[in-house]
Amino acid sequence: MALAAPILVEARRFPVGLLLVAAPMLLLVVFVLVPAASAIVSTLTDPRSGGPSLANYRTLLGDPLSRGNLFFTLGSTLAVCGLLLAVCLPVALYLRFSSGRLPAFVQSVAVFPLFVPGIIVAYALIRFLGPNGSLQTVLDAIGIHGFRSPYLTPAGTVIGLVWEGIPLTLLILLSGLAQIPNAAIEAARDVGAGRLAILTGIILPLIANSVTVAFSLAFLGAFGAFTIPYLMGPASPEMMGVFMQRTFSELRDPAQAQTQAVMSFLFCAAVGVIYVRSVIRSRRRGS
Amino acid sequence: MTGGRNRLLAALGLVPGVSLATLLTLFILVPIAAVFLWAFAEAWRYPSLLPTRWGLRYWEVMLARADVWTALSTSIALSLTVTLLSAIICLPAAYAFARMEFPGRSALLLSFLATQAFPKFGLYIAIATIFFSFGLVGTFAGVVLIQLVNTLLLMIWIPVGAFQGVDRRLEEAARDVGASPLRTFFSITLPQAGPAIAAALLLTFVGTFYETEGAFLIGAPHVRTMPVLMISLINNQLVVQYGAVLSVMLWVPSFLALLFARKILSARTIAGGLGA
Repeated sequence: MALAAPILVEARRFPVGLLLVAAPMLLLVVFVLVPAASAIVSTLTDPRSGGPSLANYRTLLGDPLSRGNLFFTLGSTLAVCGLLLAVCLPVALYLRFSSGRLPAFVQSVAVFPLFVPGIIVAYALIRFLGPNGSLQTVLDAIGIHGFRSPYLTPAGTVIGLVWEGIPLTLLILLSGLAQIPNAAIEAARDVGAGRLAILTGIILPLIANSVTVAFSLAFLGAFGAFTIPYLMGPASPEMMGVFMQRTFSELRDPAQAQTQAVMSFLFCAAVGVIYVRSVIRSRRRGS
Repeated sequence: MTGGRNRLLAALGLVPGVSLATLLTLFILVPIAAVFLWAFAEAWRYPSLLPTRWGLRYWEVMLARADVWTALSTSIALSLTVTLLSAIICLPAAYAFARMEFPGRSALLLSFLATQAFPKFGLYIAIATIFFSFGLVGTFAGVVLIQLVNTLLLMIWIPVGAFQGVDRRLEEAARDVGASPLRTFFSITLPQAGPAIAAALLLTFVGTFYETEGAFLIGAPHVRTMPVLMISLINNQLVVQYGAVLSVMLWVPSFLALLFARKILSARTIAGGLGA
């Protein structure tokens, strides 16, 4: 009996495991891989002859408005990523190398947006930064006039996306920093390395992988964003999310919307691959 | 002499912390605080720093609106359906990923990262086009399906971590004293993995409740969730307080729920759920 049981388990294990993971795998295939592949294939097909055709892409790239939106999205996305790293890297370094109540407070404030849904963020920032909003009221009260609201400008989108992105970027950087042994830094300090040398020579190389993950998630998040740019950004040029939604729902042109989606995939492909590879690398190292 | 110098150094050491705390508070907390002020303001004329008349009048107005209650029940029904389906689909898979051997196990586990590796709205457009040809646009089922895709990574990766963290020796001990595999699972494995799984369920529920983009793209015009209602309130912002009241009403319960999740899951785990 005691001998038979493990053999029975061995024999059953293989199909049971695969069977249990089949359901989510099926969802993944049907709702991620198939739609993505079908968008790529159908936008490259001529609807009448059924043969391959670049007509959809010629329409997209031939239209200055579409081209403008594409590069506007790329520019805004890079601005968001740059700002996020510029804000979160110093905060993460500060949190890693200090302790007490003040850092605990800083961390909870910085992680707070994780608990605020995007739609409420958009509303709050509009009330705060919008015309006659709280910020303008305060500035007026202390005698600073001429405030120009970023609401419905490209800056509005960037500010909103940075607000939303701070917690995730910070947590990823912090988890990278947590893996740096104190001993490595103390050893460097003992041989007389300055702060800058420790930062560039030890810390940054060790967290390079976390920085990559943080950057790629921020990039994909901003490029694929909808709510914040829809509510806070300008009507023209538009971020791709807003442009695609309008093409799909208002212009009722699914073929062009899909072409825009595939163009977004193309712009994000390299970043998506880098993201998956860095996660795999950090999991290998961690386990 | 040295005492004074030490105190000066200590004060200087606080400078980075105090300035970061101030800047982050101004940028992150103050806008949310402004929403709270608006929600309890009956009148707030422009140059005034604080509301000119306080009161709950707009709460009464919002609570009397039928569309608010319809959206609320739609949102709750959606979130419950999605969380339940996600649990049924993902938790057994998470257990298998954590504890069973089968070919391609780690590659399949990693493949769920694909849900994060696309620009999200582009993927939604691709899904919406397919839904369109199946008549799923504007239906409850369509919104459930698109939101379900969003929950996969979190509902698999966090429970996988939880099941891997269970002490195998305790399970073996239970088996040694004669407990059946099922009994061992329910008395030993589940209680240890339970808190993290509960937190994953909570995160999924709250995340689905506030999911805006899929619901907006697929649900319109027939399925209106709370966030979709918020969008229309923001777009026709005739009365500022409507949006403010709705924000406060919706956000406070979710905030408390998420704080509870945060107690169980470390920030590291939440970031880990996204593959960091």
